[in-house]
Amino acid sequence: MIKTEDLKKVYTTEEVETTALNNVNFEVRHGEFVSIMGPSGCGKSTLLNLIGLLDNPSDGRYYFLDHEVSRYSERQRANLRKHNIGFVFQSFNLIDELTVFENIELPLLYQKVSSSERKKRVTEVMEQMQIMHRKNHFPQQLSGGQQQRVAVGRAVVGSPRLILADEPTGNLDSSHGEEVMKMLLDLNEAGTTIIMVTHSPTYAEYGHRVVHLFDGHIVTENLNGKFHV
Amino acid sequence: MFKNNFIIAWRNLAKQKMYSIIKIVGLALGIAACLLIALFIKDELGYDLHFKNGDRIYRVILRINDGDHIWQISTFPAPVVSAIKSEFPEIEEVGRMTGLVYFGAGSNDIRRTDKPDNIFEEGFVYTSQGLLDIFQPQMIYGNLDHALDGPETMIISKRKADKFFPGENPVGKTMILNNDRKRIYTISGVMEDPPRHSHFQYDFLMTLSEGLYPGEETNWNSQSSTVYTLLHPGIDVASLETKFKKLAKKNAASLIGKSEGPEADDLIAKITYRLQPISDIYLKSEGISDEFQHGDIRFVWLFGMIAIFIFIIACINFINLSTAKSSKRAMEVGLRKTVGASQKSLINQFLAESILLSFLSFSLGVVLVMFLLPYFNILSVKELVFPWNEWWLLPLLACAATFTGILAGLYPSFYISSFEPIAVLKGSIKRGCKNASLRNGLVIFQFSISIILITSTLVINNQVAYILNKKLGFDKDEVLLIQGTKSLGDQVTSFKNELLKLPDVKNVTVSDYLPVSEMKRNSCGFWNEGKQEVDEAYSAQLWGIDHDYIKTMGMNIVEGRDFSPEIAGDAEGCIINKTMARQLNLENPLDQTICTSFASWHVIGVVEDFHFESLKENIGGMCLTLGKSPDIVSVKIHTKNMSRTVASITHVWKTIAPYQQIRYSFLDERYTMMYDDVQRMGYIFNMFAMLAIIIACLGLFALSSFIIAQRTKEIGIRKVLGASVLNITFNLSKNFLTLVALANIIACPIAYFFMNRWLQDFAYRIHVRSWMFIVSGGIVILIALLTIGLQTIRAATANPIESLKYE
Repeated sequence: MIKTEDLKKVYTTEEVETTALNNVNFEVRHGEFVSIMGPSGCGKSTLLNLIGLLDNPSDGRYYFLDHEVSRYSERQRANLRKHNIGFVFQSFNLIDELTVFENIELPLLYQKVSSSERKKRVTEVMEQMQIMHRKNHFPQQLSGGQQQRVAVGRAVVGSPRLILADEPTGNLDSSHGEEVMKMLLDLNEAGTTIIMVTHSPTYAEYGHRVVHLFDGHIVTENLNGKFHV
Repeated sequence: MFKNNFIIAWRNLAKQKMYSIIKIVGLALGIAACLLIALFIKDELGYDLHFKNGDRIYRVILRINDGDHIWQISTFPAPVVSAIKSEFPEIEEVGRMTGLVYFGAGSNDIRRTDKPDNIFEEGFVYTSQGLLDIFQPQMIYGNLDHALDGPETMIISKRKADKFFPGENPVGKTMILNNDRKRIYTISGVMEDPPRHSHFQYDFLMTLSEGLYPGEETNWNSQSSTVYTLLHPGIDVASLETKFKKLAKKNAASLIGKSEGPEADDLIAKITYRLQPISDIYLKSEGISDEFQHGDIRFVWLFGMIAIFIFIIACINFINLSTAKSSKRAMEVGLRKTVGASQKSLINQFLAESILLSFLSFSLGVVLVMFLLPYFNILSVKELVFPWNEWWLLPLLACAATFTGILAGLYPSFYISSFEPIAVLKGSIKRGCKNASLRNGLVIFQFSISIILITSTLVINNQVAYILNKKLGFDKDEVLLIQGTKSLGDQVTSFKNELLKLPDVKNVTVSDYLPVSEMKRNSCGFWNEGKQEVDEAYSAQLWGIDHDYIKTMGMNIVEGRDFSPEIAGDAEGCIINKTMARQLNLENPLDQTICTSFASWHVIGVVEDFHFESLKENIGGMCLTLGKSPDIVSVKIHTKNMSRTVASITHVWKTIAPYQQIRYSFLDERYTMMYDDVQRMGYIFNMFAMLAIIIACLGLFALSSFIIAQRTKEIGIRKVLGASVLNITFNLSKNFLTLVALANIIACPIAYFFMNRWLQDFAYRIHVRSWMFIVSGGIVILIALLTIGLQTIRAATANPIESLKYE
């Protein structure tokens, strides 16, 4: 599903060049659940941004669903993104001015899904995430776990093939963290590919495979032995 | 520490160049507008402060309180002077002046008796020796005492002395007015030119030692003179004003012709007197009709308020721009606080920054004023100069700049410096405060004002275009008016015949009744013959013209015929306009007879109505008869080379009147001049509209950067979820355009109301049309889009991970 060849990302400020990713070769197949670990500043988020088509690499090739997308324009990337990828962030990134329902509905709006269809799918997702009773509440009125459930709901409502989770449990206590991980597992079992960045070795264990990044390089890959092709 | 503050301030300005420039330019514009208005107000308030005993000089005003209206009269019969002098020991000196054109004041042709060339001059006034003693003008030649005591004496100003007697002392020399042997004046003194800031602008002060005419000094029945008094020091003006009541009986008699009886008693009871300080004459003479140029204290107040208003709005925009960008500084504040900075030191630092900005804005503002002053002078009809050589200028500007810097910087300094370090460093600070309703309100308000001003400018410009292109019933183009032809005497006919020989001259007519205002007028009561006892008189113009008048003016006879030199009976004939025929109920006006109290005429023709007064007035009745009124010769020209034609006309003039300069103007110019005030108003509105829209755009810019800063995260999220640039741009612009649309809704009825009322002044006018609102609304929306466009698109195209990184 995803394949990178010699992927490189360099940030340039006025005087300093910082290499965030250096020659990363990385592959994820359909239905995989991959955890990415590594110390701060190792390039985890950069990698996730590149995979998520939020940014273009400085060099190298990136195949997304067999398209070479590393030189895609913002418009082309946005198009691929909205139909194929769902995002879950550490800080939830919900829009404060929109209700739970509206937050989840947002990706469907940009996919130009009809109003009745939107209503149906958002309701389904809310039931799945068990936040139906919070439908008309605003994000500030929810607990952290509930907010992250909304965020996950928003990520899956468009039925993406890939979910990218950037430390989804980072701002949650352990019971809520557990809850969110379960949810991701369920999604994975239903066929969605998941790539998750995390600091927590425990949660990393949920993945089929753990990739360790250090200084912009992939240093090791551990198979957790749960993956069956 | 102080130096450190300014260094950091400077670096911050340099770092955010675009914002700094917008802040500085915005404030500088406001300051420039305020400075211009301040110069205007200072000038208006500076009148008549030069008189030596100015605090004791008063003009006498008679007030008649009519219950619902107070009439104020500033002219008195001549004998009032001696009456005041003998009645009131509180008064040191009384003097009078009169500018009555009828008696030869105003303008005259004048020459030295030893030179043949007549020169047309203005600024003649009759002045008593008493007035001279009160005003005490600075004399260059001659002695002020008794200068105007002798008969036929005259004081002239220095500039006129230099003109007529260059390098000579003119005292004792003689000058003659209008070639009239009876009007030879001996110059008894030369005074300094009247200061520009004087209401008393005259160059030729002619004596009143023998009155305007024999017996004037004892004639209580003519309101001829403006009277000034010089009070002894320490006199209570209010009680003196009440004592003036003694004069009421005589003044009542001079006003209504009798001093006894109920009518007179009623009037006397209503009369009070007011002594108006000389320094009030220029600005505070509302409701007093006199011959002086006036300002209006209400405009001083109005402009003063506008200046304060502009200043406040400029400051608020400045504050909004500062707080909108506060998030950029939040981290800095947090860090400084963590390493031990107190809020006070941070406030000082931010104040230093805004004071620095304010000084830059003031400098730029002064430069702007230098550039704009010439245009402002044209608009305000003034000769303002920037007071560079005044000692107080720089200290005053420095104080104002510091004050503005503190005023505009105080809120942002407190606001930004109050950020909690932990919250900032954790990144959980809100970018800008939530409540944007004040900002919204301000933007709506500023845009409403802009729309009102733009619509008004459109209406005024259209009305001006309408006026200048209106069919007037006569042809104002290519008509040369030669003025002062009365002095030609009988030669005017031969002058006319000579002119007609010129190839480019089509027609010539002799008459000083012309269809532009400020020309000779003559109103009479008319009746149909035999109805004098039955009908009310109909008031209409009675003009004396010659046989060629209607041809020359391009007027249109709709019934009957023009005057003809071949028909002897035309001397008793008249041509009336359609309005006159209608008003006198003449269905078949030809050969009907109409009359006034002193003569009667039979109607030989009816002329199409023509506008002989400003379009502010309806066309009145008009009766044209053959008569002599020879002060202006009008020449209808048809030429490709106007200057050559004028040169040949001047040549003809020289052969007939070798000693008199030719004085001419064009009819269309005179016509345009009638509407100078309207056009000027258009320019002023234009200027204010531009200023308003710039200030409004700054406000919108501040608001949009504030909102965009606040919504950066949201924009990022939306983009991650697949929103296109277009989606985001539309989403952001929508809110701002809603504000501008609201401003439109507020502004349109207000603009409609005021412009409709303004148009009511004109009897002939355009209508306020809907396209005017559409155009002004469209202009404003377009400008608003441009203002927010750049920021919006930049926000929409930004890489979403940039904005999400903050979290």
